[in-house]
Amino acid sequence: MLLKTVLTRLATTLVTLFGVAVVVFTLVRVAPGNPIAMMLPPGATEEDIANLTRLYGFDKSLPEQFAIWLSGVVQGDFGTSITLRQPVMELVLGRLPATLELSIMALVIAVTLGGLVAVIGARKRGTGTEVGLDLTNGAVLSVPDFLWGLIFVLLFGVLWPVLSISGRVDPRLDIDFTSNFYVIEGLLRGRFDVVGSTLSHMLMPAMSLALPLAAMIAQLLKQSLKEVLHLDYTTLARVRGFSETAVILREALRNAALPTLTLVGVQFTFLIGGTVIVERIFAYEGLGNMAIDAVINRDLPLIQGIVILFAALFIVINLLVDLSYTLLNPRLRHG
Amino acid sequence: MKPHAHTLDVIKLNIALPNGRRLLRDVSLTLEPGEVRALVGESGAGKSMIGKSVLGILPPNVTITEGEILLEGQHLNMMTPATRRKTVAQSAALIPQDPLTALNPVRKIGPQIVDPLVRIQGWSRSDAEARALDLLDRVHIRDPKRVMGSYPHELSGGMRQRVLIAAAFAPSPRLIVADEPTTALDVTVQKQILRLIRELQQETGTAVLFVTHDMGVVAKISQKVTVLFAGKVMEDAPTPEVFTNPRHPYTRALIAATPSYADLDRPFSPVPAALIKDLHARIAQDDMLYTGGRR
Repeated sequence: MLLKTVLTRLATTLVTLFGVAVVVFTLVRVAPGNPIAMMLPPGATEEDIANLTRLYGFDKSLPEQFAIWLSGVVQGDFGTSITLRQPVMELVLGRLPATLELSIMALVIAVTLGGLVAVIGARKRGTGTEVGLDLTNGAVLSVPDFLWGLIFVLLFGVLWPVLSISGRVDPRLDIDFTSNFYVIEGLLRGRFDVVGSTLSHMLMPAMSLALPLAAMIAQLLKQSLKEVLHLDYTTLARVRGFSETAVILREALRNAALPTLTLVGVQFTFLIGGTVIVERIFAYEGLGNMAIDAVINRDLPLIQGIVILFAALFIVINLLVDLSYTLLNPRLRHG
Repeated sequence: MKPHAHTLDVIKLNIALPNGRRLLRDVSLTLEPGEVRALVGESGAGKSMIGKSVLGILPPNVTITEGEILLEGQHLNMMTPATRRKTVAQSAALIPQDPLTALNPVRKIGPQIVDPLVRIQGWSRSDAEARALDLLDRVHIRDPKRVMGSYPHELSGGMRQRVLIAAAFAPSPRLIVADEPTTALDVTVQKQILRLIRELQQETGTAVLFVTHDMGVVAKISQKVTVLFAGKVMEDAPTPEVFTNPRHPYTRALIAATPSYADLDRPFSPVPAALIKDLHARIAQDDMLYTGGRR
């Protein structure tokens, strides 16, 4: 039963990834903009252009190019970046940790902040506090992540410069880590100077990504909590002497969390998409920043590699969300 | 007056909606220790509202406008909400109407009985667990250990109501409010549950406020009856007397309207519309004179 689920899941994953590969491969080649033209200096001869075009295989037909690329991909070779002249796989995996750490930090902030506001809102339901929280939520939600980025730069980079506004870590630090997971490896190695510097660089971009999601979580979770707080088992808990806060945390929260979990799963993928522009604003050395450069330079192999990786990431996240359902809801564990 | 003479005193209780419409009108009743009092009336008569007022679980828009509630001699509506909650939890419990929605679906049965004993009543965990097992056994659940480790969806409606009865009796309350505890169950299960509540009630000497619309149930379980109509007490009398010699015409009509399984050929006689109209007219007159506690 479980094996069948896993196999089905794996098959759909491969089909999805193949679909994404076809679409992105075709799209970057059909869209205007010539990578060869970007590489050569002005005044290059027709012959130079023809040579370079042949070298990168752009003279072949689209299906042929796709077949060549795909045969490399199944062997783990995503080609070589045109601008950076390094294997795409290496480049992308080198940047992935930075983006993962940033999005996970954003997610943690969003869930904590949103959850807290939801619980307070549910506790103070029907009062002015709830109205105030609703209004704040609406305001926070209506400002997009990149605008939050600019607001934070202005507040904590210019007016009160306490946080670092660009980069991922203080360049003066000597980092001889084996991975690019600066926060995780720094914690494991006890290099708290690196952890501190990375976190202080991450805080503003993470907050920019987290705030709109936090507002969404707060709103939906509060609504679900309020619905659950009408149900008989919460009434019974009150009769048994539990305070309203205890009723919310012990009885209502887990039941109310399910719709929010779906939202978080879907929104987390949007959040990772949001890293593209937010990383740019903070010159954060992650995948998103690299993606923008790749698009500007028409670095086709790199674009393809990044998009495939994002797609794989989304699929993994959805899988994790599905798994956490069964943890939260015992009714799904059987059958 | 001796303290704690009564388990429950409700004195001239009035509750109302924000628009001033009264849901209970000067309701008074008492409950002696070990006594079962039935609250009967049609839907909307306010019978559940009395229990909810006592337990402090009225809907948020309904407020007590006038009157006193004394639980074991303690004035409930003079307390702060936190004290009131603790006092109620110490002396009273609820058997809810719908066992399907009264258990938390994501928590196991065991903790749902044990946790209040440990966290609110201050028992040790091992005492509380022993108590839960004992009570599950007393409500005739065959494998209490297994049931403690089950989730609600793994049990039938009747089983869940047994669990809820066990949970209600677990902290040895002096008063149990049973809010139509058999209405949501199959007819065959209803009888077992009713017998069970009576059994445990007699063993423990707990007073029970039994809310029902079924005169048949009233006859089986209670010693006293309060008949309600539109939030007003029509009759308050010992149960046998109500059946042999009902004083109020509404009580008579209610008994006549109870279907009898023994005599299926007897024609159904609903409460006469003229009587209801007359009662409503009198209540409207009362309401015109009522000042809602203000002068």
